[in-house]
Amino acid sequence: MADEKDLMQRYCDGDAGAFRALYALVAPRLLGYLLKMTRERALAEDLLQHTFLKVHRARKAYVRGADPLPWIFSIAHRTFIDEARKHKRAVVRVGEVEELPEVPAGLTGESAERRDEGRADPELVSAALDALAGLPDQQREAVVLTKLDGRSVAEAAAIAGTTTGAMKVRAHRGYETLRKVLGTSSEPAKKTTGGAP
Amino acid sequence: MSAIDELSRMPPPVPPPPSLALEAELGKLTAVAPRRPVRQLALLIGLSLIYGGGIASMLTLRRDLADLPMGWFAAAGLAWLVGFVAPVYLATVPAPGSIIPRWKLAGGAAVIGAIGFIALGLAIHPSAPTSGHVSFGTGYGCLKFGLATAIVPVVIGAVFLRGALPVGSRWVAASLGAGGGALGGLMLHVHCPITDTLHVGIIHGGVVGIAALVAAALVPRATDVR
Repeated sequence: MADEKDLMQRYCDGDAGAFRALYALVAPRLLGYLLKMTRERALAEDLLQHTFLKVHRARKAYVRGADPLPWIFSIAHRTFIDEARKHKRAVVRVGEVEELPEVPAGLTGESAERRDEGRADPELVSAALDALAGLPDQQREAVVLTKLDGRSVAEAAAIAGTTTGAMKVRAHRGYETLRKVLGTSSEPAKKTTGGAP
Repeated sequence: MSAIDELSRMPPPVPPPPSLALEAELGKLTAVAPRRPVRQLALLIGLSLIYGGGIASMLTLRRDLADLPMGWFAAAGLAWLVGFVAPVYLATVPAPGSIIPRWKLAGGAAVIGAIGFIALGLAIHPSAPTSGHVSFGTGYGCLKFGLATAIVPVVIGAVFLRGALPVGSRWVAASLGAGGGALGGLMLHVHCPITDTLHVGIIHGGVVGIAALVAAALVPRATDVR
């Protein structure tokens, strides 16, 4: 199976199929990142499309043999920041946990039946998303990239356009805040999902 | 934090298909030549040196050239040349396997260049009997020609880096400006016979800092991914 580098090179050579394969490979990860940053499916999808349009328009900047992922994620980061500045509302709070049955559906894109197959606890996920949404943009991004997307601090710093030290500080502060928030709020959620009346 | 662990275990979401706008762009997809950083760097340096040399040849060579210590003159010229090449290298050539240039190092080079050339100009400026000694206020001509020399590397760099800088564009732009300013300093080094401390330090050295600041303010408009 072709990797991102190979697909990007073929895409630059004018192969539309390679773009579609690249999109299929990268878009889920990018959408996951944008969803966790915006917490709004429609906005995240909009930013995803903007990101790929920008990638398309800037594809001449690609360097043969280079990994396009950090560059594409940086474009997504920039697109999100621009949008947040434009609307001054990067975080969309949509109410209490009980009002959020669509949040996991919006995140995974899976049907309710499949979601109920026990892979992720919707209430815990909602609690985590609530806590995440309460973080400042920079800390949220640091947590999303390092903890949720599993990137190294150096990779996350490169994507966000900051130094490794600053990224470490942001991630640490983000974890600390989440620990405080979720330390209390996740317990009732566990009880509810346990079926106790 | 089991809630965060739960979130990290969630499968990636299913993305929508490419938008109509993207499909329309794909419908007219053509092959493009990807960026070749080393070739671009060579072109940038070559064209800039030709342009800087052209400006220097339009003006006169400094009249105190024969009286100055040649070792100092060559070393200072080399320092200006390194001050030009190093930041533009960092601004245009990414690390192997990367697309985005090393903007942190480039930014550092811009800051070091801007401060360093002012400090060196203030500290070391040998004088000869044929050197000129005028006040700081007459430096407008040097500033003008120095900045005019800086324009070409900055513009070429901005054209080459279009779309490559979703992050760090201001630092890379400052680095291009500092490099261009150092080329302007090199041109002034062979042209201007004034050895007044403030003139050499603030005007000749200042060209680097001013060019870096102006480039940082303007170039990202061209290089940002839109």
